[in-house]
Amino acid sequence: MRTAKDNKLVLCPKCHKLNEFKSEPQQCTRCHGHFYSRQHNSLQYTLAWNIAALIAFIPANLYPIMIVYRLGIGTEATILSGIGEFIDHSLYPIAVIIFTASIIVPLFKIIGLFILVYKAHTGIRLKPSKNSKFYRVLEFLGPWSMLDVFVVALMVAVVELGFITSVAAGPAINYFTLTVIFTMLAANSFDPRLLWDKHIEDKQVHIK
Amino acid sequence: MNNNLNTKSLVACKQCDALYDKPHLKQGQIAKCNRCGSILIERKIDSINRSFYWSLAGLIFMLPAILLPIMGVTLAGQFHQASLFDCIIVLIERGFFMIASLMFLFAIAVPIVRLSGALYLAYSFKFNRLKPSLLNFFRAYHHLDHWAMLNVFMLGIVVSMYKLTDDTELSVNLGLLAFIFWLICSTMSAVALDQDYIWDKLEEAFANEEKNDANR
Repeated sequence: MRTAKDNKLVLCPKCHKLNEFKSEPQQCTRCHGHFYSRQHNSLQYTLAWNIAALIAFIPANLYPIMIVYRLGIGTEATILSGIGEFIDHSLYPIAVIIFTASIIVPLFKIIGLFILVYKAHTGIRLKPSKNSKFYRVLEFLGPWSMLDVFVVALMVAVVELGFITSVAAGPAINYFTLTVIFTMLAANSFDPRLLWDKHIEDKQVHIK
Repeated sequence: MNNNLNTKSLVACKQCDALYDKPHLKQGQIAKCNRCGSILIERKIDSINRSFYWSLAGLIFMLPAILLPIMGVTLAGQFHQASLFDCIIVLIERGFFMIASLMFLFAIAVPIVRLSGALYLAYSFKFNRLKPSLLNFFRAYHHLDHWAMLNVFMLGIVVSMYKLTDDTELSVNLGLLAFIFWLICSTMSAVALDQDYIWDKLEEAFANEEKNDANR
């Protein structure tokens, strides 16, 4: 398998034009954007965003995300207790959707990216074709975690019947949004080509 | 010069850096990478016309989708309804500035910019008004690739409707219909836009100019 890197070519990440490798960073001859042959410090950035996301995920789950006032009495709900409420009201499909979008997906993304960074760095148990497919799934899932934030925002705006019932957002919504943004930035700064580079590198070491 | 031809007849995979000879595709065909399975090049059918009309339609539905109330609730004789824009106003009133601004970005600003960007690109191609500034414009357009979240907001509407029907009387409004159309139009205009084709055409159009610049 030929790669662009072996042939002293680099691909512009924005316009997908092949350029001859000159310097790093270099300017694309087509769109004039500056870029590196691999995303610059990709693993470090991914790791940093990932840790930030993990830290923000803790208060996101501890603080209440939504406060429902009924006749002046407020009940606070965290993400998990909100899901528990759905199950109590036997709204199972919603419980599953919210649980997937706001607990499973962020955790899955954070853990998955940690694993990918670890594999790309050490080359241990690296299966690039499987791992890059996994990466594409993670990238696709990114924005869907915003679901809970949008739901809370809609509830706050729609349910506004004064004293009878109203909904307020809790502080967790800020932290949760940060978690989602950080995981998206982490996924964006990961470069799947590093998986293949490491794979080829390890093979060559074996042959020698 | 020889090398320049070389890069034009080759194509590399964005995901795994594998290098291939550039395949000649007919409209509607897709070339996939052998090694990692991601899409190398895609020639879309009637791309310019399609993205022009879809984004035009999307911009028409934009205002009603944002301003018309999406849904309302009735409880104990009182009624209240809210639109997408109201959501943001309410969040600002309650002091959630970060959420309000991010929601404005992801659910309103980015989709609008993407739609009008696609319209502008398609317009320039359709009526043959290519300018060198389009290169920068299209490069900037790619920065927004991941950040439009209309589809997530749609699921949010469905979930909160389901939630609200449980203990209030829910009424759906025209805003929802407009929002659904807006979502469909903006998705279709993004899907219809053939990026490889546009980049190739832009390069062709301005290659001579650059040569002149280089000679000077």
